[in-house]
This record gives sequence, C-alpha cells and structure tokens, in this order.
Amino acid sequence: MALDLSLSSSAQRGPFAHFPGHIAWFVVSICAIGVWNLASASRNAGAPDSTPVWKLQLLFMAVFAVVALGVALFDYRNYQRFAWILYAIVLLLLLYVAFKGKRVMGARRWIGLGPFNLQPSELAKLAVTVALARWLHDDSERRKERYGLLGLAVPLAIILVPAAIVKFQPDLGTALIVAGTGFTMLLFAPVRWRTIAILGAVAVIGATAGYPHLKPYQKKRIETFINPEGDVRGAGYHATQSMIAVGAGEGTGKGWGQGTQNNMRFLPEQHTDFVFSVWAEEHGFLGCAVLLALYLALIASAIDVAANARDVFGHYAAIGVAGMLFWQAFINVGMVIGLLPVVGVTLPLMSYGGSSVMTIFIALGLLANISMRRFVN
Amino acid sequence: MTLLSGNAPGAAQSDFRPKLAWATVMVFAAFLALFGKLFYLQIFRGDEYRARAEENYLKEVRIPADRGLILDRNHRVLVDQRPSFDVTLTANYCGKQCEEVIGRLASILSMTPEEHEAAVVRLNDARARQNARFKPFVVRVDVRREEVDVIEALVEDLPGVDILPAPHRDYRFAGLGGHLIGYMNEVGPKELEALNQELKRAGSEQGAYSLGEYVGRRGLEKKFERTLRGVDGVHFVPVDSKGRARDVAGFGQEEKPLVPSRPGQNLVLSIDWRLQEFAEKTFPATAGVVLAMDAKTGFLLALVDRPAPDPNKMSGRITAAELKAIHDDPLQPELFRAIQQHYHPGSTYKAVTAVAALEEGIFKPGTTVWCPGSYSMGKHRWRCDLESGHGPVDFEHALGASCDVFFYAAGAQLGADALAKWSRALGLGQLTGFDIAGEVPGVIPDVAWHDARVPGGYQKGMAVNLAIGQGDVNVTPMQQVVLYGALATGTLWRPQVALRVEDAEGRVVREFTPEAKGRLQLQQGTRDAVLKGLLAAVNQPYGTGWWSRLQETTMAGKTGTAQVVKLGARRLKAADVTYFERDHAWFAAFAPAEDPEIVVVVLNEHSGFGASNAAPTASALVKKYLELKAADAAASAAGGVANGP
Repeated sequence: MALDLSLSSSAQRGPFAHFPGHIAWFVVSICAIGVWNLASASRNAGAPDSTPVWKLQLLFMAVFAVVALGVALFDYRNYQRFAWILYAIVLLLLLYVAFKGKRVMGARRWIGLGPFNLQPSELAKLAVTVALARWLHDDSERRKERYGLLGLAVPLAIILVPAAIVKFQPDLGTALIVAGTGFTMLLFAPVRWRTIAILGAVAVIGATAGYPHLKPYQKKRIETFINPEGDVRGAGYHATQSMIAVGAGEGTGKGWGQGTQNNMRFLPEQHTDFVFSVWAEEHGFLGCAVLLALYLALIASAIDVAANARDVFGHYAAIGVAGMLFWQAFINVGMVIGLLPVVGVTLPLMSYGGSSVMTIFIALGLLANISMRRFVN
Repeated sequence: MTLLSGNAPGAAQSDFRPKLAWATVMVFAAFLALFGKLFYLQIFRGDEYRARAEENYLKEVRIPADRGLILDRNHRVLVDQRPSFDVTLTANYCGKQCEEVIGRLASILSMTPEEHEAAVVRLNDARARQNARFKPFVVRVDVRREEVDVIEALVEDLPGVDILPAPHRDYRFAGLGGHLIGYMNEVGPKELEALNQELKRAGSEQGAYSLGEYVGRRGLEKKFERTLRGVDGVHFVPVDSKGRARDVAGFGQEEKPLVPSRPGQNLVLSIDWRLQEFAEKTFPATAGVVLAMDAKTGFLLALVDRPAPDPNKMSGRITAAELKAIHDDPLQPELFRAIQQHYHPGSTYKAVTAVAALEEGIFKPGTTVWCPGSYSMGKHRWRCDLESGHGPVDFEHALGASCDVFFYAAGAQLGADALAKWSRALGLGQLTGFDIAGEVPGVIPDVAWHDARVPGGYQKGMAVNLAIGQGDVNVTPMQQVVLYGALATGTLWRPQVALRVEDAEGRVVREFTPEAKGRLQLQQGTRDAVLKGLLAAVNQPYGTGWWSRLQETTMAGKTGTAQVVKLGARRLKAADVTYFERDHAWFAAFAPAEDPEIVVVVLNEHSGFGASNAAPTASALVKKYLELKAADAAASAAGGVANGP
C-alpha cells in the first residue's frame, strides 16, 4: 500500500493493514489542489487581517483527516449497530435547527458552536447512508422477493424525512444530495423494475407539479439555465459570469492568481459553490481534466470498495459514499459550467467550509473502514 | 478497475455485480458529459469567453484629446482648455441601482428636474444598446471642485459613477468676439450618425463622436471643427464587478496598452486682439458692429459684434431659463450682425451713387448741382439733410457735407438698374464669402425687383430714394467693408479671419492666402473725385466727420444715418424717440488715404447720427492701429538690435 501508516507496521497485522492507500492519495491530491485554489480564490475576500480561508480550510482538513482515521479505526459494524441512534440524533439536530438555528441570509441551516458553525444537513447525508444501509442489510436477511412499492415504504421514509426537513430550511441543494445518495443506494437493492418505473414517473410528475411551488429565485435559475443569455445582468448573471470564467481558462488557464473573473469579483460565491470556476479560469481544460480525473478515480474506487465489501451493510454504505461524492461533484461542476441549473451544492474538498469537509472526511473514513475490513469475517 | 477482479470474499449478493458495472458506466458517461461541456467552453469557444472576460474587467476609458487653441495674429491665446471634471455613469456597473444613483447625484449636484430627466433618458439609451452598457455617459459636465470631493467621499454609494478629468473650453474673453469664435455643445443623438459618416467619408483618423461629446456649434469652433478636434486616446482600467478601479498587479496594461491622445491643431487668426479689445472698449453701442480689415489682404483685424452670448455659458452650462431669455431678447443676441442682418446703408451708399454717376457719364467730375434744401420730381418732394440748402455743390462738397439733393439728382437720372449694376460691381447684393457662419446677401433692388415686389411696380422716384441709401437697398456690415476696401485699393477682397493652422508644436500646417474676388475697373477721374469727396467728409470743416479727423494720418470716409422708421415732417432728436425707432449710425472709412492699409466700418444700431455715434470709434481705431504698428516696428527694431552681433 502506498500510504504506510504507523499502525500497520507492528508485527501483528494492525487494523490499517489493508488501508486503501490509493484512495488516500486521491484524497490528498484533491485536498492539495483545493487549498491551493482557495488561496487564489480568496485573495481578495475578507478583511485584510483576518485568517485567510485557505488556512482555515487546511486546518479543517487536518482535523477531520484525524477524525476520519478514527472513524476507520473501529470496525464499521459498530456504526451499523448504532445506525438508528445516529439517525435519530441527526434528525433531532435537523429539527432543532429548523426552529432554533442560526439564521444566515434567510435560511436556518446552522448551529453555532463557538467559532465553528455546524450544518446538520451535512450530517444528514451520513445519517441516511448509514441508516439505509442498516435497514437494507437487516431486510436482506428476511426478504425473499424483490421490493414492491409497499416494501419500500420504510427506506423511502428514511430518505425523505430528513431530505424534506433540509429542503424547508431551505437548502434545496443539500436536500437533493441527501435524496440522491439515498435513491442511488435503493437502486442497488432488489427492487422490481415496475416499481422503479412507477417511482420515476412519480418523480417526473412531482417535479412538474412542484415547479409552480418553487421559490421565485429557484424558478429563475431554471429559466436561466434553459436560456442563460436571456437575462445576462439579472438572474443569469451568476451562471453567465461563471461560464465566462470557465471558458476564459481555455486550454491551460491564465495561471494561479491570474484569473480576472476571480480577482475582479465577477464570480459569485467564488470560494464556496463556484470555486470550480476559479480553478477552470486559472488552470484551463488541462487543470479541469486532472481534477475531474481525480474525482472519477475516487468515485470508481468507492464503487470498487462496494464491490468488494464483506457484507451487505458495507456494500450499501460504500455505494452511499460513492453516490454522495458523485452527485456533489457532478451537480456542482455541471452547474458551474452551465450543464445544470444553479443549485447550492458544494464541490467535495474544493469548496471552502468546515461542515462540508467534515462530512466528506467522515464518509471517506467509513469508506476506508469498509475497504480495510473486506477480508475480515 | 478491480471491480471485475472477482476476489470479493464477503460480497453478499451476486445481484450487485452487474449493477455496479452499470453504475461505473453511468459515472463515466456523466463525467464524459462534463468533459464535453468543458471542451466546448474552453477549447471550442475559449477565445470568445476570454474576450468577454476582458470586456468585463477592462473598462475602456477615453483620454480626451486637447482641442486646438484659437490664437490671435500675435499668438495671444483667445480660447484654450482649462482642467475640469465631468461626472459620468456607466449603466453596466450600477445595474438595477442606476436610477437611485442618478437620484443621489441629482441631490449632490443640485440638478434641475430637466437635467435629472435628461440623465435618465441617457441611462435608458445606454441600457437599450448592448455595447453602450459599458460606455460611461455624462451626467454633468464641468462640476465644481467641492462637488468632486463630495462624490469621491460617497463613492461606495455611487456604483458606476466616475469623475473624468475633461478639459473644457475656456473662452478667455467671454462674449468678446463671441459670434466669430462661436461655441461648442453636446452632440445630439440624431446628428451623431451624420457627423461620424462625414468623418469616415473624409478618411479622418479621428475617433468617432460619441454621445455626450462636444462639437463646435457656431463660428470658428464649428467651421474649423475638424482642424481643432484632436484624436482621442484610450486606456483600459481594470475594474471589479462594481466598476471600481482595482489595482491588481499585472492586469490590464499588457493586454491592451494605452493609446495616447493627440491634441488638435491650433488656429491662428488675423485678428489683432489688442485692436479688438480697444474697439470693444471704445465702441459705445448697445448693439452694433465694428469691422477692421487689412486693406491690402482682406484679412480682418478686429470684429466686434454686439450683443453676443457668452460662449462659456453657451457651452453646455446654460439653463433653460437663460436660454429662453436669450431667445426672447429683442436685441437678438444670437444674430451675427456683421453678416446676418440687413441694414439700409444710408449716406454711406452715396459713394456707390457717385461711382455710378461718373462711370455712366451722368455727371462729370466737375459737375455742380444747386441744392435749395430739397429735390422735387412731379408731385414728390425730397428733403435735403440741410433744410436751408447747401447751395452749389460738386462731388467733393456733396460727399463731404453729405448733400442729399446732389445724389437725388444723380439717382433720378441713373435709375435703379444703373445703381444696381454699380452696387454689384462694388460687391453689394452678393455674399462676401466670409463663410464662418451663414451669410445674408443683402438686397440691391433693380427695376425688375421693384416690379416683382412693390404694388404698382417700379416708379422713377424710387431711384431718388435709393441714391441716398434708403428705399429698399439693404447691405450687411461685411459688404460695407468689402465695398470701402474696393474704393480704397480697387480690389474686392473676400474677407477672411483665419490666417494659419499650426500643429501643437507651432509648425505651420496650412496657410491661408488673400483672395481677391475681383478688381474694380474705374476711370481715373471717377476714383479721384470719389476719394476727394471721402477725404472732404473727414478733413474739411464742412465735412460730416470733421470732429473725427486725425492728425496722424489722412483718413477718408463717409458717415451714414440709416432711417429705421419713416419719420414725419419734422426730424426728431434721437433722445426723443424709443430705442428701436432711432436711426442706425454708420461710418465707413480707410486710411491712410494715399496708400490705404486699414478699412474700418462701424455700425451703431439705433444710436442716431453716424457722425457723432459711429465715426469717433472708427477714427480712434485707426489711430490705435497706427500706434500699434509703430510700437511693433519699434519692438522688432529693438529685437533686431538685441539679436545683432
């Protein structure tokens, strides 16, 4: 293994003997790119004497990398055992936040914890993954036939209850990721094709019927997505400016710190949701290709972990992590380059934010855990 | 991928494997879509987006070129630039707040409602056109220093607002020479296109006119617009998304270097501003004209034209109320009287009648006419200026004392056609070619003219009236100066005022040469008789201009008093009638008589007699001219000594 952590060097094979070093390398690479890119994206942000966000991000990554190793240390069957409790705690936090949370820009998403604001909706991604994996694991031992609609009532509830709470914070982006992660896992369960078709139809009808109930700004985003140049100065501004930044990167980019869209603040949320446009402007198609290849490798590795998991829980949990990574990367990059409507989704390990880093690292710790114990019975 | 490696000890359900393979394919497909879109944006359309990114942050800022100076013949600066500031707004950078920003500016600059509205109109215009969004438009020209300070202090609340150093025209002598110099104001949206097309047709290297720019409107500023206008430069300022300049190292200058502006060319006039100022000071008129022309070249030395609006005001700083006051002023300050107003020439026309009578052979140089104080033809009786009568008068005495009867007699025999013929030969009834502004041609009524216009057609008695410059004969002061120039030298000059065009370093680019429109072919006897009469008018005790005679030189001239309204049986004193009913006073002269150098025409509107209200100005001007000439000669002699070995 490429990354030889001290725990595996003992005479007896330690818990990290089968640590997936290649995943660690992918993660470290993305983190390095992420911090370096943040250093450019945040050059003109914040008060001059405040700690630059890239340093904070580095701190988050260091702290949560240790947490991730901790998560990897204990056999994941412990998490399986406590899955319901974890799920319940997260649900309570979500409810707490919905009523008592810190309000920032019209949304209650945060719990203030001193200098750190926790976003329980981020934890919801993990809770749904673990709880759903637990339920599917338990159910697979008694169930003989494929799932019909009725059989999916419980897992659908596991997914939709937290997703709905998050949606009404409002945080449509995170709700989409929670639901996307859960539904991806369900796709791997033995569900009847007819049921999948029905659920798909319901989703399409629901989306169509739900459109009029979207917030005006959300509707605008969808209209803008369909015709981004229609209102360049208004709602389409962010989408257009982001695409200009990406396109202006051309083949090899303008170089670190040289992006004018970045430096002159033409980009919205340039160190969080739109951080990829900074990378694209300054490092071009080449830089984007490298970064996307790393994500692809990470996601494929997660699928590989799922394929080789020792049990059903491990399999589903790994699928959940893979789905989470995939949907976030795909939706975020897709939004930044105008392939998808604008929606608030962070790019794993590139976007600045402690909660996001925390979630991804815990998920990766879980993934490593499953990978490390693929031979254990 | 190890997906298919098969060593999955704990893999629970064989159902997973094909699904995982499918999932992997889907993930790859999704990423392929991302790659595809990235390739499209960055490789396929990269150039275009890079250009748009540049357009975003590199704000094009015009460097206004200095307009050429207007100088007098001794390079004294009459018009130049003074540093000042324009407040501009860029629609793109204030976005939805533009209206608010204009509102704030309106209160800072205490804008009038009309001004406020005009700014909103410009904003909407800029919004309507894609490429105008990024172009700053002017909200207020020439703001005061303290207003600049206020705006700079509030800059955070005024996105898109810029304070642009813009040199503004400084007409150093305000209204003096106002009609001649003219003024500038803002180019209108409609004329913009016409101006730019003309510029293109002429193959000029000057940049296109843009909305809010100033263009020469009247006088020399208009006539020499393309000479005076420079070539604007441009530089690109890196700005952030709010349009505020941001100093970020390495941005801007490499991609688009600064293009410096080039100043316009300077215009050197033939006017001697010392003479001009002197004339302005000496001329007592409320309204009127003083023209001084170089008799040997036709170049003007002074041009006073009163009243004239202040060009500093007219250049975009005038309020609607002030403009209305100018429009409504009965004195018509917008009228360039020297070339745009018709006047009866009055007795100054007697020189024309004299030339006609002699050339047509009606009178001989020695002809004498008995003046009993009036002239009769049929039932009509025309009064002489001197009601007691002049007794026997010849050419010298008739011109000198301005005896009407002598010229009534001449006119009666000449008829309107012969008078018209010689009027035209002397440059009347036609444009002088002084093309600084639109000119009126005057009226020289011949028989056909009267037949066409007067009820009852031409009557013989009409020529009697015409002979003393009344009736329907009309001239402009500029025509008078051409006429007296021709009497002085025999040459009909095209009056000119532009002497040279020089570049900013003072090198001559273009020189204007004297232009003779024709030579006056007169018999020697005619010329001598007329000259004697004009000399007598100034230098004989009986002459009407006796009180304006000069010791220094022999001036020849003719007074004139042009009736404005038909008077009753008794002549009234000027003081007894209202301003607009009073006669116009004329004096036309040249000096020195033996070798004329300067021609002077003075018209004092509604002031009464030419002798008392026009002639003194003319003689003072001639005297000043001679003094200046002597002083210049002395100075250049002293200079010659100083520069000598």
